[in-house]
Amino acid sequence: MSTAGGMGKRRRPSLLGISRRVVQLGVIVLILAIPALARYNNYLAAYELDRKIEKWVGTVQGVTLASIDTVIRTLPGAEIERAGRMQRKRDVARSYAQSMQGGVWSAQLGPVSLTDPLAAAESVAASRKLPWVLAAGLAIPLLATLLLGRIFCSWICPVGFLLELSDKLRGVLRFLEIKPRNLRFSFGMKYSLLAVGLLLTALSATPVLAYVYPPAVFNRELHDLVFAMFDRAENGKPGLWLGGLSWMAMLLAAIALFEVLLSRRWWCRYVCPGGALYALLGWSRPLRVKLKREACTDCAACTAACPMGLNPMKGQMGIECDNCGVCITACGDDALDYGFAMPTSPETQPLPQSQGTRA
Amino acid sequence: MNNGSGAPKLLTRRRVLGHFGSGVVTVASLAGGAWMLALSGEDAEAACLRPPGAQAENDFLSSCIRCGRCADACPNRSIVAFTPDNARENSVAPGRRQRGTPVIFPRRQACILCNGAPGENLLCTEACPSGALQLTSKDTEHIREHVRMGVAEVDRNLCYSYNGASCGACVRACPLEGKALRAGLWEKPLIDSEECVGCGLCERACIRYPQAIRVKPSNSRT
Repeated sequence: MSTAGGMGKRRRPSLLGISRRVVQLGVIVLILAIPALARYNNYLAAYELDRKIEKWVGTVQGVTLASIDTVIRTLPGAEIERAGRMQRKRDVARSYAQSMQGGVWSAQLGPVSLTDPLAAAESVAASRKLPWVLAAGLAIPLLATLLLGRIFCSWICPVGFLLELSDKLRGVLRFLEIKPRNLRFSFGMKYSLLAVGLLLTALSATPVLAYVYPPAVFNRELHDLVFAMFDRAENGKPGLWLGGLSWMAMLLAAIALFEVLLSRRWWCRYVCPGGALYALLGWSRPLRVKLKREACTDCAACTAACPMGLNPMKGQMGIECDNCGVCITACGDDALDYGFAMPTSPETQPLPQSQGTRA
Repeated sequence: MNNGSGAPKLLTRRRVLGHFGSGVVTVASLAGGAWMLALSGEDAEAACLRPPGAQAENDFLSSCIRCGRCADACPNRSIVAFTPDNARENSVAPGRRQRGTPVIFPRRQACILCNGAPGENLLCTEACPSGALQLTSKDTEHIREHVRMGVAEVDRNLCYSYNGASCGACVRACPLEGKALRAGLWEKPLIDSEECVGCGLCERACIRYPQAIRVKPSNSRT
């Protein structure tokens, strides 16, 4: 490797990298917790909660319900004293449980409603209407994407997270002296896929991407898996069960295998229609990774690290960059950092990388 | 610096692969889309009970983003995501465009109109981020005036009360008892189709199988 010189001062733990992992893990936890919260709410509504917790003690379902209950009891106003014993105040507990819904496609997190811009685009394309609720849910994600670019991809997307983890297997392959290949495709592919998807949505008046967009489908599968586990528990079979994962989980495994062996981060780089939309929305984002040329020693550590296959060393970030900050952490010379800039200076012009990304 | 400008682009193996890949993906997605479009017409007659506050079926199908938030919000677990399997189990024609949309199968679990739930609105309509379900107050008068999920219908050949025995389970279950559903002589259910909101609690309560009283969804054509 040409980075031998830079190896000495390698990689301090970076706050940026750690917080990104914490957020990504938090998203997975939320995806699994939200359906459990819905069931908690149902049992509470049916005066069944305590009986269920007692009956399913020691199983995943019982532990989950009990821990949700413990957390909710600590929230303000959720506990009352009744006959000398602290008890849950049902209405308050239900309101708390109620305040979390959905997943990455559209979610309610406490007082905030969030809707994926792709979901909103589909609803608008299919129905040719933009109701106020949709605009309200769209506000925060849209603003975040306009200002910060593809941060959904790098911080939130559960599929991106899993593919990022499976990407680490390429290192394992290298350790085994098997050199994984890295085929490159056209970045333009995802833009054409987005265009085709939205066109079909408009023609069929049906949000077709909602059926195939991996984060949405994978989220729904995990969500339904938790529901299915509670259903099984109700039918007398509490405990862990993974039989409900269906086609998207398998497809993701296939994609991960393809990426590990043949083409690094293939899905996120070249195919994902959501990534394409966020890239377009983030065209003139102020937050960019900036290169201090005078500090750069041309070691190319950033270029090797970039999950999106860009070239930070040459200042080539463009619209494909998802601001994940991996290059910033990888740089041993402190030549890369985030910076806010209006996209007028030629240095920060969006430079779509080499092949046709005119879309 | 900028390798995209000026120099003529060579047809490298990489580039050929890239174009080939994007071509395959585009053609595949077009084919998939055409298949979806071809099948989208067949669902016109598929009717299922929508949650309260739902727009007219076609608007509903195009606005709904299939996020499942209404199902998470439902306190009675009556809203589920439409799948071909649960549709078949509940004798509803499986439609492709309906997949993932919220549906109520009253025989399984009917809508309790958020009775006893926190808040002032029907929770599913509050949860909906796309306007497919429109915000609806759970005030009784408001519900009576604005909610029309469907209308209950009695099959007199099946109903025990019309066949020599008196039952009345459906009448007891009706949240608008005396208005939407009254008990006639020998507990015969008498429906006022102007008043019925289509919650399905009567169908849920019916002791006959197949149910003698059923809600005909308001999105059904016939």
